[in-house]
Amino acid sequence: MLELVGVRHEYDGRVVLDLERFAVAPGAAVAVVGPNGSGKSTLLRLLALLERPTVGRVLLDGTVVTPGGAARRRVTLVEQRPILFRATVRENLEFGLQVRGIRRTEVNRRIENVAARLSLTPLLGRRRHELSDGEVQRVAVARALAVEPDVLLLDEPASSADRAAALMLYRTLAEERARRPLAVCLASHQLEDAYRWADDVRALADGRLSPVTPENLFRVELMTAESGDLKRACVGTVEIAAMTDKIGPAILAVPPTDIFVSREPLASSARNTFPGRVTALARRRARDGAVHVTADVGVELVAVVSEEALRDLGLAPGSRVVFSFKASAVRVF
Amino acid sequence: MDFLAEGFRRALALLFSGDAEVYGIALLTLKIGIVATVLACGLGLPLGFVLATRPFWGRRAALTVVNTALAFPTVVLGLLLYGLLSRRGPLGAVGWLYTWQAIALGDVLLALPIAAALAAAAVQGVDPRIRRTAETLGAGRWRSAWTVAREARFALAAVITTAFGHVVAEIGSAMTVGGNIRGQTRTLTTAVALYTSQGDFGLALALGLILLLLALLVNVALQTLQGRGHA
Repeated sequence: MLELVGVRHEYDGRVVLDLERFAVAPGAAVAVVGPNGSGKSTLLRLLALLERPTVGRVLLDGTVVTPGGAARRRVTLVEQRPILFRATVRENLEFGLQVRGIRRTEVNRRIENVAARLSLTPLLGRRRHELSDGEVQRVAVARALAVEPDVLLLDEPASSADRAAALMLYRTLAEERARRPLAVCLASHQLEDAYRWADDVRALADGRLSPVTPENLFRVELMTAESGDLKRACVGTVEIAAMTDKIGPAILAVPPTDIFVSREPLASSARNTFPGRVTALARRRARDGAVHVTADVGVELVAVVSEEALRDLGLAPGSRVVFSFKASAVRVF
Repeated sequence: MDFLAEGFRRALALLFSGDAEVYGIALLTLKIGIVATVLACGLGLPLGFVLATRPFWGRRAALTVVNTALAFPTVVLGLLLYGLLSRRGPLGAVGWLYTWQAIALGDVLLALPIAAALAAAAVQGVDPRIRRTAETLGAGRWRSAWTVAREARFALAAVITTAFGHVVAEIGSAMTVGGNIRGQTRTLTTAVALYTSQGDFGLALALGLILLLLALLVNVALQTLQGRGHA
């Protein structure tokens, strides 16, 4: 188990990460989603023991670990824009194995194996300037898998990959996890991939874990409305009403399960009613029967409905739709 | 123009005749150059690496000192060294004044800040992801440092070449602490200065051409050693 406990991390006095606890259990598949600047990369660097948190502890199997210690050999990070050493692909794949003093025959076996799984065999003799961005990313993932870490951290692993390459990557990770107890924690801004691939999706916003699922998260400026705790915030071209005692900058979240989906406006007490058009329908987990309906209502919002409700409403991409939710359903933090 | 042409003719004749004095001077210069470059780079490259990568109290001041030392006048360096090595100086007992070792010492002091400052710049030019990648793949401190140095190997080879170039071209300190003694401490630069002042332009030019040839050979050797410039 790799954990951050009571961690606060600062750059130049600015808090970029503030987490009470963040754990990656053995064999887990965790996805961390959030917008750019939400602290995902910092989180991964702390987990990878590349940096020491300003405040707090990093634990591996209950023991406090620090950068530079032996624990780093059990955790490997592939950065968002990975870099290869000035060497051939084969030499890059050998690096972590040589560091560990692994015997030549075993080094060759692992390299042949990982290269075959990620379709890198024809590239083994190439140097970094002879590779595309997508190939560099695949080599970096292969290089990390070759050392067989207990925890693999991936920062936007599919950002330079086309769809086929991304699918191959996720398939390889799934095979690796089936073969041995590998925990994977990946940061992504692509919710689709996160839901399809991970067992556990966590949202990060402004360095803090969101208490709700990661859809419909917005960084806003809350303004006072007509009464008491009712506040308003401009998001895209719409104005969302929220019940909160906060004012000024905040993160606003609309839980997808709290959004009523209809074809016509409903007579209700919901303060937020936005007409728009469906832009996408996604069945992210076949087993739970839920469908994620994405609609452009002046801003892109995601609601969750059942298969049955979807059929009754007759929704399809391009359909007119109305999203409604109460001001009290909006989470502010 | 006749004067120049005559100078070149005499220079070439001296070079191809195998003149013992000319080649003696060249070999001494090469010896001092190699010894001084090895010592200066042996100390300066690690120092530059530390300055570039290790945060420590006074790092900025240390960088300023090193960068300032780049512009240290060689004559003043020679003067200070003369004070140290002279019979009444604190290092007088060593007996190095007017020896090739004194010239080499001056050259080391001259080339050390060059090696350190340029190595620091070369290492700072390496993408920081290289070190992070090495670390996350399990490399310890030394292996990570070696990996960064390998990435900067072309720039570091240029540092060595620059240091050697400065060492063999130096004259102020060599003249002061070496004394330009024939057959003992006469280097290419001090000899060029002497023969020019004596009006022997051909001999001075011959020695100047050898100096250029030495620099060229060292560059070619380093480029061969570092291999092709593959990324």
